[in-house]
Amino acid sequence: MAALTIDKITKAFGHTTVIPELSLTIEDGEFCVLVGPSGCGKSTLLRIIAGLEPISSGRILVDGADMSDAEPPERGVAMVFQSYALYPHMDVGRNIGFGLKIARTPVAEIAERVGRAAEKLRLGSYLKRKPRELSGGQRQRVAIGRAMTRKPKLFLLDEPLSNLDAALRVGMRVEIARLKAELASTMVYVTHDQVEAMTLADRIVVMNGGRIEQVGAPLDLYHRPANLFVAGFIGSPAMNFLKGRVASVEGNQATISLDVGFSLRMPVSTPPQLGAEVTVGIRPEHIALAVEGQADAIVLKASVVELLGSDTFIHVRDGEESLVIRDSGGRVARAGDRIAISLPPNACHLFDKAGQRISGAAATTEPA
Amino acid sequence: MMAPLSRNRVRGLVIHAVLFIVLGFWMVPQVYMLSIGLRTPAQAFDAALFTWPVTFDNFVTVIRDNPLGGIFLNSLIITVATVAIVVVVSSLFAFACAILRLKGSMLLYTTLLTTLMVPLASMVLPLAILLKTFGWVNTYIGLILPYAALGVPFAMVILKAFMEDAPRELFEAARVDGCNAWQTYWHVALPLVRPALVFVTIWQFIVTWNEFFLALIVLTRSEMKTLTIVPMQYSGLYMANPGALFAILTLIALPLILLYVLVQRAFVRGLLAGAVKG
Amino acid sequence: MRAGAAVQAAKRRSASRASTLYLFALPATLLFVVFIAYPILWVAGQSFYTGTADGRAVFAGFANYTTILGDPTFWTVVRNMVLWGAITIPVQMLIGGLLAYFIERHTHALRGFFRTMFFLPVVTSVSVISLVWVQIYAPYYGIAQEYLKHVGIVMMTSPIGDPKTAIYALIAVNIWQWTGFSMLMYIAGIANLPSEVLDAARIDGARGWRLAVHVIVPMLSPATKSLLLLGVIGTLQTFPIVHLMTGGGPNRASEVFGTFIFKQSFVLGDTASGAALSVIVLVIALVLSLVQIALLGARLSPAGKDQP
Repeated sequence: MAALTIDKITKAFGHTTVIPELSLTIEDGEFCVLVGPSGCGKSTLLRIIAGLEPISSGRILVDGADMSDAEPPERGVAMVFQSYALYPHMDVGRNIGFGLKIARTPVAEIAERVGRAAEKLRLGSYLKRKPRELSGGQRQRVAIGRAMTRKPKLFLLDEPLSNLDAALRVGMRVEIARLKAELASTMVYVTHDQVEAMTLADRIVVMNGGRIEQVGAPLDLYHRPANLFVAGFIGSPAMNFLKGRVASVEGNQATISLDVGFSLRMPVSTPPQLGAEVTVGIRPEHIALAVEGQADAIVLKASVVELLGSDTFIHVRDGEESLVIRDSGGRVARAGDRIAISLPPNACHLFDKAGQRISGAAATTEPA
Repeated sequence: MMAPLSRNRVRGLVIHAVLFIVLGFWMVPQVYMLSIGLRTPAQAFDAALFTWPVTFDNFVTVIRDNPLGGIFLNSLIITVATVAIVVVVSSLFAFACAILRLKGSMLLYTTLLTTLMVPLASMVLPLAILLKTFGWVNTYIGLILPYAALGVPFAMVILKAFMEDAPRELFEAARVDGCNAWQTYWHVALPLVRPALVFVTIWQFIVTWNEFFLALIVLTRSEMKTLTIVPMQYSGLYMANPGALFAILTLIALPLILLYVLVQRAFVRGLLAGAVKG
Repeated sequence: MRAGAAVQAAKRRSASRASTLYLFALPATLLFVVFIAYPILWVAGQSFYTGTADGRAVFAGFANYTTILGDPTFWTVVRNMVLWGAITIPVQMLIGGLLAYFIERHTHALRGFFRTMFFLPVVTSVSVISLVWVQIYAPYYGIAQEYLKHVGIVMMTSPIGDPKTAIYALIAVNIWQWTGFSMLMYIAGIANLPSEVLDAARIDGARGWRLAVHVIVPMLSPATKSLLLLGVIGTLQTFPIVHLMTGGGPNRASEVFGTFIFKQSFVLGDTASGAALSVIVLVIALVLSLVQIALLGARLSPAGKDQP
C-alpha cells in the first residue's frame, strides 16, 4: 500500500511529445482507473509509473520518496500485462514465484506464498503446467498471481481483460473486483473500456491526447462531465449533443435555441452569455418518450431501431443532427415510425463553445 | 472415392522410388569409401563399387597403428571451445542489440555483419602472421579465437532475429520482477531462444569440425593436428594400401556423421522455427 | 539536501549500470577488432609494401597489384572462379530445390530420413570427400571410368588430370557436397510458406506443377537470394577440394583464389603479392555482396559455407 504522486511529468519520444505536463495523485489503497481512447497516453503513463519508461522531466513519488530514476522493484510495483507476459519456459508455479526467486526469498517462503496465491486464484492444480497448456482466463489468473505474491505497494494492470472473450471478461471483472477488496492495495488500472472503468474504479482518470480531461468518482463523471470529451466518452451509448445558441437568460433559467429547430428552457447555475454558441448534451437514457401532442413533445422519424431485449435503442435523425434514445420500457418501434420525445431540462448538460461544462443536469441539485 | 485416392498412392510411390534412386547415386562416394575400407589387399584396386568378401582387418590395423584418439581429441577440444565461445559471445551481443538496444549497438552490428562477406581465403595470410606474432602457432587458442571471431556474426544474426521476435512484454515483466540485465539474459532471453541456440550450436560445430584452410596453416606439428587435416598425410602413408587409407578416412568422417544423425531432428527444428530467415 | 543527494546517487547508479551493459557487446567487438578488422587492415597495408633482399619492407605503391594482374595465372583463376560460381550456384539451387519440394510435399514417414541422408555430404569432412573423389575419378581402378563406360562415356585419363576438364571435375564434387545445404534452406522456406496462400492458390485452380512454378518458386525467392549471396562468398573461399584433389593443377589449370593465395603466401613465401591477392579477393567479395544486397535486397543471415 502506498500513495503515488505524479509531479509535473512530461514524456517525449524523440521530437514527439506524448505527455505534456501532467500531475496526478493517487491515494493509498485507492483503485484508480486510467481510461481513454487508444493512443491517449494512458498505457505510457502506466509504464512511466512502473518504471519501464523513463520520464523526460518531472518527478514520480511513492510514499513521498522520489522514485523518478528507480527500477520497478525499488518502486515496489507489480504489473499485469495486456498479453499476460508469462514466461513460456516456466511452469505456473515458477512463473508466480519468479520475482521472489530474483529477490532471493528463501525457497520455503516462495513455496508458501506461491501456494497461497494459487489457492486464492484457484490455480492449485495447475502449478506444474506450462502457460501454453492453460486457457486464456487461467493465464490471466497466473499473471495476477505473479503480481500478487510480490506484495506490491503499487499493483498495476494494463488492459488485463482486453485479450479475453466477452463472456470471460465479465467473469474476470467480477474476480478483479473481489481481489480489489481482498488485497486492499493501491491499484492503477488501464483500460479503454468505460464499463470496466465505471464498475471497478474508486476514481477514474479520463485521458485524451496525453492530458487528463477529468478526475473523479465514476458517478461524478457520469453526472457532471467536465467537458464534451468526458461527456461523450463516459456512458454507452454515448451522450447526444445538440448545437444551439443562448436565446435568453432569466435568472437561473436559460432558453437555448437549438439548430434542429426547437428551443429548450433549462436551469443554469452560472448564467451563460446571451447569443453564445453552446452545446446541449443529454444521455440517451434520459430522453423521455412522449405522446404526440404533448406540450413539449418533439416528433421525429426513427431511422434505425436496435432491439436488445432489455433495452431498445432508437436512432432518430433530423438533417445533420441525430439522436439516440434508450428506452427500457419495452416499447417496440420500427424504422420509419414517428417517435415523440421530450428532453427533460433537468437532465440536460450545457457546454460552451470550447467544450467546457457551463452547467446543467445534476448541477442544479447542488447547493449554489 | 477410391479412384483419386489410389492415384495419389501411385504418385506417392513413384516419387518415393525416384527419391530412393537419386539417393542411391548420391550415397555412392560414402558407400565406395566404406567398401574399399572393407577390402582385402587383393581386391583393393578392383574397379567396382562392391566386392566380396569383406574384412575388418584394415580397421583393426589403422586403429592399432595410428594415434587417432589424440587427433580426435584435438578436434574435439578446438570445436567445443569454439562453439562455447561463439554461443556465449553472440548471444550476449544479440541481447545487447535486440533487448537492451544500447546506443551504437546497431552500428556495431552492421560492422560485424560485414564479416559474413569476407571469404576466409583472404583472411588466412594476415591471420597466420597475427598468430605467429602472438606465438599461437600450433596452439589450440590460435585456432579457437579466430574461428570464434569468424563464427560470431552468423550466430548473432540468428539469435538477434529470435530475440526480436520474442514479445517485448516478457522482458518488461522480467524487469518488473526485479531482474537486472544479466538475470534477464540468463533467465528469460536464453530459454526463449533455445531452438535458435541449438541450431547455432550444431551449425557452428559442423563448420568448426570441418574447417580445413586455417587449420592447415596453424597446425603444423603432428600431435596438434585435427581430424580434418590428417587425411593428406595418410594418403601418402598408405598410397599402396587403399584398404587401410579408406578405413582410416571412414573413421575420420564417422564421428561428425554420427553426431549429425543424432541431433538432426533438433537442428532441423531450429531451422524450421525460422532460424534462417531467408 | 538529502533528497538531492539521493537523486544524485540514483543517477550515478543508473549511469554506472548503463556502462556495465556495454559488457554485453564487448566480447564480440574484441574478437572482431583483433581477429577480423586488424588483420584486414594489416593485409591492406602490407599489399603496398614489398620485401627487399635484406628483409626490410619498402613502399611499393601498386606494384604488387600490377604484378598480380599481369600474372596469367591470375586470369586463369578469375575464369575458374566465374565458372565455379556460374555452374555451382544454379545447379545446387535446382537440385536442392527439387529435392526439397518432393521431400516436403510428398513424403511423410521418410521425410526425416531423406532430409538427413541428402545433407550428409555437408557434414562429411571435406578432406575425406576429396580423397574419395580422387579414387572415384582414378584411371584404371576408379569406378567413374568403369561405370560411365556402360553409358557410352569413355575416360582414358582421370578428369582431374586433364587441364581441360579438371575444373569441371572439381565443380562436380563441390556441387555434390553442398547441394544438401541448398535443399535444407529450401525445406525451411517451404515449411514456412503460409498455408492460407497455398489454399488460396488451390482454390484459384493452381495445382501440381502450376502451383510449384507460379506460387511456390516466387515465394521461395528469399531463400534463393540468400543462397545466391552465400554461393558467391562460398565460391571465393573455395580451397580444400582444389588443394587436396589437384593442388591447382595440372599446370595451374584448376587454380582458384584459395590455392593461389596459399601458394604465393606459404609455398613461395611472397607475402607482398599474397597480401595484394587477399585484398583483391576481399574487394571482389564485398563489391559482389553489396551489389546483390542493393539490387536484390538479399540478406546475409545464413552462414558462409566454409566459414568457421
